[in-house]
Amino acid sequence: MERLHLSQSPTLAIPLAIALSARFHMGNKQAKSKHNSNGSRRRDGSARSNAQPSATESLRTYSIPDLRQEHPDLSVRQTIEKGKDGVEHVRYEVTGNLNAPVPPISDSKYLTKQQCIEIYRYMLLNRKMETALENLYKQGKVVGGVYFGLGQEACSCASAYALDKDDWFAPMIRNQGSLLVRGFRASDTMMQYMAKADSPTRGRDGTSHFGDIEKRNMVSPISMLGDLIPVLSGVALGARLQGRNVAVMTYIGDGGQSTGVTYEGINFAAVQNLGLVLFVESNLWAYSTPSEMQYRCKDLAERAIGYGIPGVIIDGTDACQVYDAARDAVERAHRGEGPTMIEAKMMRMKGHAIHDAAAYVPKPMFDFWKKRDPIARFENYLVKEKKWLTTKENAELISEVEQVIEAEREIAVNSPMPTPESAEGGVFCEDGCHDIKPKYGMPKVKKRSGGFKETEAAVHLK
Amino acid sequence: MQLTYLEAIRQGIWEEMDRDPSVFCLGEDIGIYGGAFKVTDGFIDRFGPERVIDTPIAESAIVGAAFGASLTGMRPVAEFQFMDFIGCAFNQISNMVAKTHYLWGAPAPLVLRGPSGGYVHGGPFHSQNPEMWFVHNPGLKVICPATPYDAKGLIKAAIRDNNPCIFFEHKYLYRRIKGEVPAEDYVVPIGKANLVREGSDVSIITYAAMVHTALEAAEVLKNDGIDLEILDLRTVSPLDREAIAQTVKKTNKVIILHEHSRTGGLAGEIAAIINEEAFDDLDGPIVRIAGLDSAVPFSPPQEEHYLPKVEDVVREARKLKAY
Repeated sequence: MERLHLSQSPTLAIPLAIALSARFHMGNKQAKSKHNSNGSRRRDGSARSNAQPSATESLRTYSIPDLRQEHPDLSVRQTIEKGKDGVEHVRYEVTGNLNAPVPPISDSKYLTKQQCIEIYRYMLLNRKMETALENLYKQGKVVGGVYFGLGQEACSCASAYALDKDDWFAPMIRNQGSLLVRGFRASDTMMQYMAKADSPTRGRDGTSHFGDIEKRNMVSPISMLGDLIPVLSGVALGARLQGRNVAVMTYIGDGGQSTGVTYEGINFAAVQNLGLVLFVESNLWAYSTPSEMQYRCKDLAERAIGYGIPGVIIDGTDACQVYDAARDAVERAHRGEGPTMIEAKMMRMKGHAIHDAAAYVPKPMFDFWKKRDPIARFENYLVKEKKWLTTKENAELISEVEQVIEAEREIAVNSPMPTPESAEGGVFCEDGCHDIKPKYGMPKVKKRSGGFKETEAAVHLK
Repeated sequence: MQLTYLEAIRQGIWEEMDRDPSVFCLGEDIGIYGGAFKVTDGFIDRFGPERVIDTPIAESAIVGAAFGASLTGMRPVAEFQFMDFIGCAFNQISNMVAKTHYLWGAPAPLVLRGPSGGYVHGGPFHSQNPEMWFVHNPGLKVICPATPYDAKGLIKAAIRDNNPCIFFEHKYLYRRIKGEVPAEDYVVPIGKANLVREGSDVSIITYAAMVHTALEAAEVLKNDGIDLEILDLRTVSPLDREAIAQTVKKTNKVIILHEHSRTGGLAGEIAAIINEEAFDDLDGPIVRIAGLDSAVPFSPPQEEHYLPKVEDVVREARKLKAY
């Protein structure tokens, strides 16, 4: 019964001192050949054979579709710089084409004009809620820190928008936009940050750490990364036993995917063919660690090959690409065809939390990704390219969102702090506190033959 | 009818699956093979592969999936092949499952069960009693039955409970003890201790396999004219404070006996409860008999040395009686 213990903490592939003395280039991506968009390369590097695939080979999927219209070739490595004081400092530097033109937004296969505008509105709500939180923090009204999804609003909002009512989701810390799409109010999240009595957890937890298994089908995240993946898989399993194929969506970062439970969760969903829709948000920085120090493969979506599930790469700053990939995966889940991994590429445009100025990020990277701001791009698409919004309508929409956020801010600020005694109770579900029954109906079970009979005594240890 | 401890657990889960379609089992090798100890033997034929699920060797996934399914109103029963491996899923249990109801109000009616305990020469990774890892996690119920009657009644109670329950089955007892188990449906309440032997001189507070060690010691001590009272806790979290206080108030002398290591063990917590509830009733020091502060060694002479024995109880009871 020996086991391999999966490491819970990412480790450096190469001891840092050696890497530095050899001026080792962490940028494994640099040496790779140009990305190709149809993903038809083979793992062994050989050309695709024209011969008829064998029975085993035909079950395998080596192709990772890439829906992006550009393939940034930036890579980050550690270097030693001599400061003005003559002291050597270790820094990150970025290489690659930092002047590549910004690609257009892809037209969605599914979204109507109205739906695009609705997603755009959620993205505005998402950003303006976080700006309000930043201000509340500066006013000393937030307990602890504030986490931002700046630059990731398209990924949060357009993904959750692809879910149907009976589907489930669990956000990570930067997916505060997903909560708005699923019907939570901005004041819910704001009150969480201010640890207020009326917050969804009544002060017991902060940030996006809350849930709702009744109406909005949200599982509360915890701070440990990857643990939601098997949990959401279990939600899909529970629903399937009740006769329903629901889609269960959750997120993981390029840092979080390094955890062992990520592997366990995806593999479980794959083996059981559960409707997991996993967004791998490759936002390039895990707190202060670049993705080059998290994993060695070219794209995280390649890992889907190892799980035996479909994987796809998208531009996480393009709301239409996010939605289309999410919707395809959700429909696959509804058809009972199993999990999908979607790697969304973008950059976290602030520090890990509000205290972190992200000074370790090379400035040219911020400049590169700022041009790919998901809201500015979508606004340009709706107003200038599609002309689905006039400048005036757009201004009105922005002003309406600002008013909503201001009203939500008022509600949140005016909620009282919880009483000290409210820390007590609720550890257990006491008699009568919940009426637990299968959400989608009692499972139908086939009565099989075979009554209870005593078992043979052939056991592992006596 | 007379059932072994293992059959009682097996029958308890079987009956709950028969009674309630929302109950299902998942774990490693529990399907066609019927589990490493055959607790789920025959289940897959009766209840089908949908409700008796063989999983990958991935304890975090097993707990996570059980928890997720419980959020949809199912009542999963997840098997650990050995409770030693529950450590692989510790984060799911401690940070996800245990905290859920307190933090965001979602009930998690799931059972995590499996064999624990020594005396079978299983070595350091197949002999542990890791219940204390979970006693220190508010939000979990931790159950350690000692008899076939309690094992069946408590597994049924755990499956019906609206909270996460961790159910430790002592593998030494699996096929070694038989006991009377009624044919009709019954449950044993979680959180209630059982006075298995009334006595007047010294109280032994214990649970699981150690109940039988204490009972054997009581027979030996009878010849010395020492009358042991034995309290079987049955549930180690939440503890039955009242029953603990009651037995101390009656005999005024107490030995706490458990199989796991002494330091940070349950005896320390029970001693504190006695301190709080019945300090004035004590006529002697609170005595602890426990496993050594080491891993459980493999070689039989070493394991025997590590684990509490009947002689230990006899010796300590004599000393305490004379105090």
